[in-house]
Amino acid sequence: MIIRKPFQEKWKPILIGLISIFLMIGLYFFMSFRQHEINPKDTTIPTITQLMKGFSKITAVSHRGQTWIGQDSKATLYRLFLGIGMSVILSLLIGLSMGCFAFLEAFLLPINALLAKLPPTAMLAVFFVLTGTDTTMFIAMIVFGLTPTISQNIYLAVKQIPMETIYKSYTLGGNSFEIVYKIIFKMVLPAIIDSIRLSIGPAMVYLIAAEMVVGDVGFGYRIRIQSRLLNMSVVYTYLAFLAFFGFFMDFLLKYIKSRLCSWQRT
Amino acid sequence: MIDKNDIVVECKNISHWFDCRDDNKKIGNLWQGNDFRKKVLYDVNIKVLRGEIVALVGPSGCGKSTLLKAILGTHPPLQGDVIINGSISYKPSRHCGIVYQTYSLFPFLTAIENVAIGPLLDKTNTVSRTFHPFKTQEMKKTFHKRAAQLLDDLGLGNALNSYPHEMSGGMRQRTAIAQALIMEPEILLLDEPFGALDETTREECQRLLLTLYMQNEKRRNEGKTPYTILIVTHELSEAILVSDRVIALSQHWNWNNNSQDCPGATVVYDSPAPVYPPDVEKEILEFTSQKNEIKKAAFDPKYCQSRDIYNKYWKLLLNS
Repeated sequence: MIIRKPFQEKWKPILIGLISIFLMIGLYFFMSFRQHEINPKDTTIPTITQLMKGFSKITAVSHRGQTWIGQDSKATLYRLFLGIGMSVILSLLIGLSMGCFAFLEAFLLPINALLAKLPPTAMLAVFFVLTGTDTTMFIAMIVFGLTPTISQNIYLAVKQIPMETIYKSYTLGGNSFEIVYKIIFKMVLPAIIDSIRLSIGPAMVYLIAAEMVVGDVGFGYRIRIQSRLLNMSVVYTYLAFLAFFGFFMDFLLKYIKSRLCSWQRT
Repeated sequence: MIDKNDIVVECKNISHWFDCRDDNKKIGNLWQGNDFRKKVLYDVNIKVLRGEIVALVGPSGCGKSTLLKAILGTHPPLQGDVIINGSISYKPSRHCGIVYQTYSLFPFLTAIENVAIGPLLDKTNTVSRTFHPFKTQEMKKTFHKRAAQLLDDLGLGNALNSYPHEMSGGMRQRTAIAQALIMEPEILLLDEPFGALDETTREECQRLLLTLYMQNEKRRNEGKTPYTILIVTHELSEAILVSDRVIALSQHWNWNNNSQDCPGATVVYDSPAPVYPPDVEKEILEFTSQKNEIKKAAFDPKYCQSRDIYNKYWKLLLNS
C-alpha cells in the first residue's frame, strides 16, 4: 500500500465510508441483541423498537403545542450558532490583527496563549456569576472556548503567507488596510473555514456541558434528565440528532469552502 | 551630458550590515569588538538611467539581494540613501515593481485578475469602491481589457482565466512580469526571476526581456515611459545576454589596504553589455571575453585590486 495514493474510482471511498457506518450500527444492534438475551427488560442499550418509542416520545406534541426535540433544538442551535458566529467575528479581528501588525501581535499573543489553555468548562462558575444562567452564559462559554483557538489558527495561517506576497501587494499600490482584506483575508480563508469546521465539536462539548449544569431547556438539559431516569432510548435519539447537526454543519462548511475557495489546489 | 531627470534610481553611499550576535563571543555584558556585525555592503554607488536594463551579478553572499531589497524599500540600508525619481525610498511603493523567483502571484486570482488587481488597488480606494460601485465596475472592465492585452502580448492569451496552480512555471513568471508591467513602475526589479525555470522556458523569458528592451525606443517616441529594469542573477551569460549594462558586486577588492575586516561588498565592475535583438544570433566571443572580465573582477578571491579598474561605464558614456 503506497502512502497517500488516492483511489482510482470515485465510488470506492464512498462505499468504504458507508460500510464503516453500517458496521458501527450493526455492532450496536448486535450488542443490544446480546444484552436483551441476558435481560429482556434492559434499557441501557435500547433495541430498534425501544429507539422508535424514544423517538415518538421526543416528537410527541405537548398541551402547549411543542415537542421536546423542537424546543431543545431551537434553544441549543440558537446558542450554538450565535456562539460560533461571535467567536468567528472576534477571532477574525484578533487573528488578522496579530498576524499583520507587530504591535498587536506583541500585545495580544500572550493573552491569547494564556486563555487558550483555560478550559471553559472549568470556568463555568465564573460565567455563572458574571452572566447569570440565560443565553448570554452559554454564548460566553462558546466564545471563550473557541476564540483563542480559532484566532491562533488564523494568526498562524497569516504568518505562513510569504513576505514577498505582501511586499508585492505594496508595489501594486495597495495600502495596509486593503492588503489585509483584499489579499491576506482571501489567502487565509480556507484555513479560517477549516478552523471553524474543527471547532464545531468543541463548541458542542462546551454548550452541552453548560446546559447539563445550568440549562432548563436544550440538548444537554434533556440528556441529563433522561439519563438520570435511565431513558436511554431518548438519550440515544438525542445523540443521533446531535451527530446529525454536527455532520450537517460540517458538510455545509465544506460546501461553502468549495464555493468560495475553488482556487485552492486539491 | 546626463539629464538629472534621466536618473531613475540612485544608490548613494550605501552600506549595510546584519546584526548576528553570537553568545559564544560575549564577554560579560560586553560584545567583543564589532564581531556581531556581518558586513554586507560597503559604499555602494549606482545610478540607473531611464530605459536601461541593468544586470546585477556577484558571488554568493555578496549582497545582491540585500541591495535589491534596499532599492525596493523593504529593507532600507543602514547607511546611505536610495533615491528613486528624486525622492528617498524607505518603503515599497508603486514606483518600484518586483518579480520574485517564486512568482508570488495571488493564488485566489486568475491570470487576468492577478494582472488587473494592481491598477484596481492603485486607482481606487476602499471608499470609492464602496460608494461608487458602478464607476468601479467600469474601471475594472478597463483594467481587465488592459490586462488581457498585456497577457496576450506576453503569449498568455489562452491562459487568461487560469489560476496560478494551473499554469507552468514559465507562464506564472510571465504573468508576474505582466502584473508588474501594468503598473508602469519607474523601475522593475527582477530577483533571480528565471532561476527556477527549465532551460527552454528560461530562454523564452530572456527573449521576453530583450523584446521589452527593444520596445523602449518605440515607447519613447510614443511619449510613454520606457521600461527600466534591474535584474539580479547569478548567471553571467544571462546577465550579459539580457542587459545593456552589467554591474558586479564583490567582497574581493583591495579593502585590506585600509581596514582590518572586510567592510563589505562593493561595486567592482560596471560596464556596458552588447544588446542583441531577440531573434539575432549572438556573438559568443564577445560574451566570453566579457564573462572572463567579470569573473576576474568579481569572482576571483585572489584578484584584490582597486574597485575602480573595471568601473568604466560612466567614463564610456560621458566620452561617447
